[in-house]
Amino acid sequence: MPRRTKRVEESAATAGTLTALGRYAGPATLILSSLADGAKHGYALTKDIEAFAGIRLAPGTLYEALSRLEGQGLVAAVPSDDRKRPYTLTAVGATALRTHLAAQRRTAEVGLKRLAGNWGGT
Amino acid sequence: MNTWPHAAPHDAPHAAHHAAPHDAPHDAHHAAHHAERLLRWYPLAWRERYGVEFMELLMEDCAERPHSTSRTADVVANGVMARLSYAGLTGSVLEGTDQARASLAALICSVAAFLTLGVSMWSQLMIGWQWSEPDSPGTAVAVVAMTIAVAVFAALALCATLPVVWTVVRAFAQRQAHGLGRPVILIGLGLTILVVGSRHFANGWPGTGGHPWAGQGLVPGGVAAFSWASTLSITSYWVHPTALSTFPLSELCWMLGSPVAMAIVVVGSVKTVRRVHLSEPVLRMEMALAAGAASAMVLFVLASGVWMLNGGPGPRGLFTIGAIDRFALLSMVLSLLVAIRSLGRARRVRTTG
Repeated sequence: MPRRTKRVEESAATAGTLTALGRYAGPATLILSSLADGAKHGYALTKDIEAFAGIRLAPGTLYEALSRLEGQGLVAAVPSDDRKRPYTLTAVGATALRTHLAAQRRTAEVGLKRLAGNWGGT
Repeated sequence: MNTWPHAAPHDAPHAAHHAAPHDAPHDAHHAAHHAERLLRWYPLAWRERYGVEFMELLMEDCAERPHSTSRTADVVANGVMARLSYAGLTGSVLEGTDQARASLAALICSVAAFLTLGVSMWSQLMIGWQWSEPDSPGTAVAVVAMTIAVAVFAALALCATLPVVWTVVRAFAQRQAHGLGRPVILIGLGLTILVVGSRHFANGWPGTGGHPWAGQGLVPGGVAAFSWASTLSITSYWVHPTALSTFPLSELCWMLGSPVAMAIVVVGSVKTVRRVHLSEPVLRMEMALAAGAASAMVLFVLASGVWMLNGGPGPRGLFTIGAIDRFALLSMVLSLLVAIRSLGRARRVRTTG
């Protein structure tokens, strides 16, 4: 059974970032954030992400990102007898998510600060 | 908290809530049928790994949003991307022998496209040389180089085919040829159509058969005629329907049918390579041969370029460069790039893996 290589696993794991995922970094961040509070299967992920981010990941997009994350060792499938296979965050995935969110927070803080300085508002 | 396993009991009634009770079995059946059809967009290997759970997600999504065109578009797009990935044609890299086989399959496709166009171009030049030698050194050198490239292709194809055929025969003998029967039948069917049809049209064409100088060309007239007949579909007549309508019906049928036969051979070959268990030494050998094929492709492209830049119409216009030749050269360059990319990916995974 073919499995994706850990082509960028090394860089993602050592640098702890999701930038190597390119255009999949968006869905990947949402999925990892959702899995941060426990294992979930596909539909539960969709509903959770919709609830906290207001974004509904379509099935194809969700599984494209999930398979990439699994290939890079950031998430892992939980053994299950159910047809709905749950996924859980790995330690490498937790590190990558933490680093990525911290970088996003710095960007958000800078943007908000500059907006407040030049454009007013709260 | 909406986490597994707590989510399952919560979500199931939520999904079912959207269907009226008396319609539930019908809707469930419809959702399952729709999900099954969507799943077919993904390659077999992907379905084996993710198929069951993805079906569950699709069925729940279908129950919640029965008529979502965006879901269909999303699944189709990602399914096609997955097929390209598993064929070794996108940025994703598979593991070890999977990537080698995927690259080999991509190489088969690109080399087949290259050869079809290249042989079409080469056979016209070969037939021209049967009648008269080119009067321009550029054309002469280019045609000789193209002939050498074609000969190298033929030798490499033979060397690449033999170990795969041997492995397939062994798999059948050991009753381990799961999923290989249909691809082998496809290859046999396609090759039979191509060989019989090409021989028929090559023999029936007077261009290489009856003139007094037959045999003065670079290759035997029969080889040139066979190559010409097998690639008869590569012609600019397709954009001249009035002229095309004057062709005999049998020839038109062959022009439409031969590409289908070629496609059948390529599909069968790709499926065979993807399904047969090739040993590490055989894969290494196939990759080395593929590198040789890529070199021959480069030689052929360079020679075609020389012919187009330096060549002229030649005696009696036998070596005239047409729009179809420029189109063929451009397409061959694209095929070459795909081949080099596939080869590079296979090597990268072998060195990093």
